[in-house]
Amino acid sequence: MDREQIVQQVRDALGDKIKRLHVANPRRVYVTVEPGDVVEATRILHKDLGARFNIASGMQTQTDFEVLYHFAFEEEAPNGVLVTVRVHLDHENPSVDSVVGSVPAARWIEQEMNELLGIEFRNHPEMKRLLLSEDWPKGVYPLRHGKPWEGKVEKKL
Amino acid sequence: MGVTIKALSKSPWVFHVSSGSCNNCDIEILDCLCPRFDIERFGALLVGSVRHADALLVTGAMNRKSAIRVRELYQQAAKPCLVIAIGSCACGQTFFRESYNMVQPLDELLPPGAVTAYVPGCPPKPEAMIAGVVKALSVLNGGKKKGDGPKAEEPKKPAKPQKEG
Repeated sequence: MDREQIVQQVRDALGDKIKRLHVANPRRVYVTVEPGDVVEATRILHKDLGARFNIASGMQTQTDFEVLYHFAFEEEAPNGVLVTVRVHLDHENPSVDSVVGSVPAARWIEQEMNELLGIEFRNHPEMKRLLLSEDWPKGVYPLRHGKPWEGKVEKKL
Repeated sequence: MGVTIKALSKSPWVFHVSSGSCNNCDIEILDCLCPRFDIERFGALLVGSVRHADALLVTGAMNRKSAIRVRELYQQAAKPCLVIAIGSCACGQTFFRESYNMVQPLDELLPPGAVTAYVPGCPPKPEAMIAGVVKALSVLNGGKKKGDGPKAEEPKKPAKPQKEG
């Protein structure tokens, strides 16, 4: 199977959930979906098409938050294809359903995104602190723009 | 010189405290222990417990979580105890200084004067580390102060005029 066939397979499987499909280069495919469709889209890629869940990443842009779930098709095509499910979230209140139900490996990375960027993952089984120290104040997200921790966190032990 | 200091400076057992470094300094410390540089020939031995240690080799710019552990390790070490900051991060945090997860640098975290020697470099060469340990030991022995260069050589006695013929 070559890369075009994999892209076509993804296109067929996701159907009308795709808001935008962007082939950045032969090995990187970005699929933008609505926040409501992200659980179903990741389930189809992971369970039905058998893609490996690679990692998820979150970021803050000028206008919104983005969560990207990266899925790798490694055995099907030579050198593989990385299909990324991208979802745009509200800038004021970033909130999306957790995909842990169908993709268990996303558990910690969603915890980390919650902690560092303040993105809420609904129905996550265990949303507790993962990386930051115990004395870090709640509601201060260090990777958001503009150094939000300044003045709120003592730089001394 | 007390017997403690004498024994310590003859065989300084070192404990390796990696406070979240990038592992470059850690690799170079291991290089010091391996046969090429072999600091065991000076009696320095890597020990697994801080209770056995005479010197702490601290690497890495400490973050909010590991700084607590470094301070606890220093408190648990038997005194007198040398602390040697290995690498630019341990010496002054370098470009991690402005990060959200940083607290004060090592020499402000530990009691004043606890850090005996600074070995800058990214990573420092094993030769530099050996020089740092030697300098720290000479401080213990009441010799040269921190940062002193080598002692001025004593004026040599005038050579005896060689007999001619």
